[in-house]
Amino acid sequence: MDRREFLKTGAAISAGTACICGLPVMSAFGQETEESGTKWGMVIDLKKCAREQGCTDCMDACRKENNVAYHNDPRWDIYWIRKVTIKNKQVPGLEKTVPLLCNHCDKPPCALVCPVQATYKRADGIVIVDHHRCIGCRYCMVACPYNARFFNYKENPDWPNREYPKRSHGVAESCTFCTHLVDGGELPACVQACPQKALQFGNLNDKDSDIINVIRKNPVKRLREGLGTEPKVYYIGL
Amino acid sequence: MKIERMLNKNKSLIVLVVLAVIVLLPIGYYAVSDAFPKSTDDFLEKPDPKYQECVDRTEYMRFHHMDLLKEIREKVVREGIKQDVTFADCKECHINRSSFCDRCHLIVNLYPDCFGCHDYPETARAAAYEEANP
Repeated sequence: MDRREFLKTGAAISAGTACICGLPVMSAFGQETEESGTKWGMVIDLKKCAREQGCTDCMDACRKENNVAYHNDPRWDIYWIRKVTIKNKQVPGLEKTVPLLCNHCDKPPCALVCPVQATYKRADGIVIVDHHRCIGCRYCMVACPYNARFFNYKENPDWPNREYPKRSHGVAESCTFCTHLVDGGELPACVQACPQKALQFGNLNDKDSDIINVIRKNPVKRLREGLGTEPKVYYIGL
Repeated sequence: MKIERMLNKNKSLIVLVVLAVIVLLPIGYYAVSDAFPKSTDDFLEKPDPKYQECVDRTEYMRFHHMDLLKEIREKVVREGIKQDVTFADCKECHINRSSFCDRCHLIVNLYPDCFGCHDYPETARAAAYEEANP
């Protein structure tokens, strides 16, 4: 075997092993961008939402369904969905009320920073907290660019929905897209409660679903798209 | 000399008897008194008789229910796989928490954090059960 042949075979063998060893890594990356399966998303039509000024039906329904803590004190109140007034700095006087909830990012920064893997992304794209594992470090609240995470400083005094657990004090929490309802084939509580049908929920991977049609037909925007978190909550008329 | 030795013998016998009494006292008290449960069958509330068997053997459930619960929890919470049996199903048969979970936990000085978040009423369901089955 001369020098050239030796180098050739060596290169071939190393390339082969690299391919074999790299396969699992590649397939793990492949799952991230896989287009099959379900990927839950939401479209919020702000024009419809603006028709009912001061309506808090989605917030109330969420509170009732998910036992979200309310102490009537801004220090401890928790909102899984809340209405935020945003102002345009360039055009003074232009204001919009936006229902803000966890955006269930495709690349969730909260799950990246969680030191105990309590926050994680489910296979269907929903980002949830495993409260059994949460140690209450609040990294996720810092990491979230949408301020969608809240901390349980106090336990909820009320327990309206006994079928669904509360959260003890000392854990972070955020919207779960009502996983317990969605897994059972129902819509999230806020979507059911909206009187104007401004909130729409559906599978983003299903090309024929209503939500995909709405996204195609309307100019949609997502919050802070430049950050690359790829949120799954779309806004019409933002 | 001889008398002294005999005295010593008697002394040591007395000491032995006293020691034996001290050692055996709690055991005897446990055997005679009704304050302590002799086995878990004596003090655990029997489940609703219409349910004949639990998820697993009684012996397994008695010592490994926490492993089973953890297993179910990981499946449901982490992987989103619905299980046939969940934590909520325990209360279908074992209606009263204070006479099912809490009694053992109190004796072994364990205070698991389940019921701060998960609903398992102490008396409400038992009252409802008594109403339904007079």
